[in-house]
Amino acid sequence: MASEQRAPGTILLVEDEPADARLLIRAFTRAGVLNPIKHLFRGDEALAFLEGINQYADRREHPLPILIILDLKLPGMSGLELIRWIHLQRELRRIPVLVLTGQKDDKFIEAAYDAGANSYLLKSFAEDEIDRVVNLINNYWLSLNESPLVVNRK
Amino acid sequence: MSLLWWLIENRQTMGPFVESILLVEDDHNDEQLLRRAFNKAGIAMPVKTVRNGDEAVAYLEGESPYNNRAEHPYPGIVILDLKLPRRSGFEVLEWIRTRTNDTKLLPVVVLSSSSVAKDVNRAYSLGANSYLSKPYRSAEFMELAQKFRDYWLQINEDPFISPNVSA
Repeated sequence: MASEQRAPGTILLVEDEPADARLLIRAFTRAGVLNPIKHLFRGDEALAFLEGINQYADRREHPLPILIILDLKLPGMSGLELIRWIHLQRELRRIPVLVLTGQKDDKFIEAAYDAGANSYLLKSFAEDEIDRVVNLINNYWLSLNESPLVVNRK
Repeated sequence: MSLLWWLIENRQTMGPFVESILLVEDDHNDEQLLRRAFNKAGIAMPVKTVRNGDEAVAYLEGESPYNNRAEHPYPGIVILDLKLPRRSGFEVLEWIRTRTNDTKLLPVVVLSSSSVAKDVNRAYSLGANSYLSKPYRSAEFMELAQKFRDYWLQINEDPFISPNVSA
């Protein structure tokens, strides 16, 4: 099993709804998650962060995430476009990408997996449901699952 | 409306739709430990085991001796060991992700005794959905089974796969 002695890795959360992001971040804190959460509102901003350009050029200050959680409907660049871009990058493509969205259409689910999403979760609005999803993300992705090694080259 | 159509139409309200699990594992002892843990965790869907990479491909393709889908149901998720006779787990993963039909969308969880970064990275690069280290003790198998159940069989939304339809 994964034994994490190092400082916990960053989680990148890409969510344009401030209220949804606030609820999620609060749920992560309640679940006892110590990983820093980097929250960005826009798809293109997430791309800049992952590529380490513009204000994100310093990787010591903006380390690459170990897990990406993103909505599909995003300004600047859609979640699907972002996943497709991530999957063209040699190193970044290893980082697990969880879609967390209100879109429950089969065609979105299929498109997300086709683009390279590792998992697809439906957004809930009740606080106890959000807690449940966040607890399961914590128990699975932050404890049981082996994270890839992604080198911060810059 | 036929039952099948009703199921398709209503699957969103019925939650995830995993009908069977394909376990690709050559070690009988590991298989037994996992099966016992899955039973204890109340996982009711059938777990079908194949012993090497070639068999995994034949199973997914529905080739003989796996051509009867009532007996060998198409899986909703694959648990894949990496060190396998014949075709390796990496090769199976690559084969799955390069299909032109819905098989390319199939969720694959690697379960390997290796937790070396080189193997973990390679598996993710080839399109593994998740990578789990094989536990040694049965208590850890139990924990793995519960977390696997809670995540992949309960909250994750699976792609709706019809293996004979080109994507």
